[in-house]
Amino acid sequence: MWVLMLVTVLLLSACSSGGGGKPASGGDEKTNEITVWAWDKAFNVAAMETAKEAYQKANPDVKINIIEYAQADIIQKLNTGLNSGTASGLPNVVLIEDYRSQSFLNAYPDAFKDLSSSITASDFADYKLGPTAFDGKQYGVPFDSGVAGLYYRTDLLEQAGYKAADLQDITWDDYIQIGKDVKAKTGKELLSLDPNDLGLIRMMIQTAGKWYSAEDGKTPDIANNAALKEAFITYKAMMDANIVKLHSDWSQFVANANNGSVATIPTGNWFSPSVRQEASQSGKWAIAPIPKMAGQANSVHASNLGGSSWYVMNNVPGADQAADFVAKTFGSDKQLYQDLLNNIGAIGTYKPAVDGDAYAKADEYFGGQKIFTDFANWTKEIPSVNYGINTYAIEDILVVEMQAFLNGKSIDDVLADAQKQAEAQLN
Amino acid sequence: MNTGDSLQKKNNLTGWAFVLLAVVGIVAFYFYPMIQALLLSFKSGVGANLEFSGLSNYKRLLVDTTFRTALSNTFIYLIIQVPVMIILGLFISVLLNDSTLRFRSFFRTAIFLPCVTSLVAYSVVFKYLFAPDGMVNQFLMGLHIIGDPIQWITDPFWAKITIIIAVTWRWTGYNMIFYLSSLQNIDQSIYEAARIDGANAFTQFFKITVPLLKPIILFTSITSTIGTLQIFDEIMNITKGGPGNATMSISQYIYNLSFKYSPDFGYAATVSYSIVILIIVLSIIQFKVAGDNKNG
Repeated sequence: MWVLMLVTVLLLSACSSGGGGKPASGGDEKTNEITVWAWDKAFNVAAMETAKEAYQKANPDVKINIIEYAQADIIQKLNTGLNSGTASGLPNVVLIEDYRSQSFLNAYPDAFKDLSSSITASDFADYKLGPTAFDGKQYGVPFDSGVAGLYYRTDLLEQAGYKAADLQDITWDDYIQIGKDVKAKTGKELLSLDPNDLGLIRMMIQTAGKWYSAEDGKTPDIANNAALKEAFITYKAMMDANIVKLHSDWSQFVANANNGSVATIPTGNWFSPSVRQEASQSGKWAIAPIPKMAGQANSVHASNLGGSSWYVMNNVPGADQAADFVAKTFGSDKQLYQDLLNNIGAIGTYKPAVDGDAYAKADEYFGGQKIFTDFANWTKEIPSVNYGINTYAIEDILVVEMQAFLNGKSIDDVLADAQKQAEAQLN
Repeated sequence: MNTGDSLQKKNNLTGWAFVLLAVVGIVAFYFYPMIQALLLSFKSGVGANLEFSGLSNYKRLLVDTTFRTALSNTFIYLIIQVPVMIILGLFISVLLNDSTLRFRSFFRTAIFLPCVTSLVAYSVVFKYLFAPDGMVNQFLMGLHIIGDPIQWITDPFWAKITIIIAVTWRWTGYNMIFYLSSLQNIDQSIYEAARIDGANAFTQFFKITVPLLKPIILFTSITSTIGTLQIFDEIMNITKGGPGNATMSISQYIYNLSFKYSPDFGYAATVSYSIVILIIVLSIIQFKVAGDNKNG
């Protein structure tokens, strides 16, 4: 019994002294096994599977394990792992959402591998470089485009008296007018929104090249942000016009699109597979450019929602092999991007791949529209903004103020209060 | 020294040996992290770039409006839900303690069953029950109690109600079991004597049952208070704290500070310590108000 106890005590003391903070092992160690973490089985994981197949043709000895976790779990595991100071249990390659990447690069400066010499950053869409680079070095391999479009039901809009041409070059104000007509003629709502998610506001302000924080990515830019002010006013106008159906989670959002409750969905292109789920609506959907902001002179018909990129962990054995893997697949393989489009519908942001055949394919579900060509064209015009390190923290403040605004608080007070709160809370 | 002494000594050692394992475990997995967290609460910075910043986190806590919202939400849950849960549990346990009631064990099992379901699983089910076109709205509209669907999850007021209903459903049976077990220990002759003296069921309940259950009521109210102050799973899964922080609890705020925003573990530790202090203060108050001083 004494022996057992002695062993236990020794084990425990070994545990508690282990967290000294030095990396467990260097990243240069040779290994032929690479672990990848990603979320969304049908999209990111499937894209990684495609890349794995492509890479293994030339490197059959390299074993690649792709593990699917929910995005929230990946964030949690990365944070706890990196904070404990040991790299054990962390993957070689990890997918990080663009809105969060600066926060990770800031919080754990040495945790990610500098890929500046492995990939050519200028080969990727310009707006993806802000989130993936830090301190002048390129850390992420830009992956999917979150280019936004206005998905709309051609049949419902026709009933309200609108044709495809009427949806080109419109402002958000025109969009609300369309919504009122749709509601009057068909009784359907124009769009579905989650009051906890300001994705629509994010899309609006990025069309004008603005964000919640200033260029430095840290200073909150709320009170004097004209684009944000207009976006708030537009959002309230939508609510007041009674053209919004509310949802509280993803499945309700998709259901509202699939069961014909709403006439349009302004969102990122990754929503296409969800629209396609309802086979009976084939041919009834089309995609228009995202509306622009009437009051912002530099606002364009292109924006972004979401999107993510691949990062290589520095201190996990096999870092060099992993860097080689992402560089030779997502970093340079034109054919891979064609396969991603054909098999998954994932639109990459690798410029040299855009003139491939897959991009020019007509899509029967969307009434024969060449949606990938359109998306690729809009991707080029997305204004580049620095998402900074506080996107979600500021958004949580704004969500509260938005509720106050909808309940009658003045817009200037709303933005001034949000600014004050953001300055007090963020460092 | 005689043999009795050395035997005593040996027994003591063996006793300590048995306890030692637990002590080492508790020190390593409770006290060490607690002290580390206290130290952490004096540091600030993003992610791994932490440095000592004195009391700055505590100063920030005093002016943090989000923390204030989370705190007041948590107190609303506490003030409404703990009494509702305890009164309901007490009421049901008295009903189920009636030996003439048929299918007693069925009802007991049915009411206790929610406590063994997974927190996340039941939260997800509640989320769908209370969706705009979910079963609850359809039922209420079918009975013509309401005309339009209630926005259970997207309206600030109703979202709080949804959380309270969910938590009450989950935990009432848990408290009930404590009351039931102590009701069985009350001597039936006390009730008999009361009945002979002409006390009705109402008087019996308030003059006999409640006073005799007092220690158990105190125990359940303290555990319920602690549980409510740490409420997380339901809110995370049903409303995510929304709409607009209307249902956010302190625990969820800690989660957000650590994982949703740029990780600020120092400040998150500070907010955690605010819960520790709250629990200590509330438990002392409850002991003073409800506790029987004579019995300590």
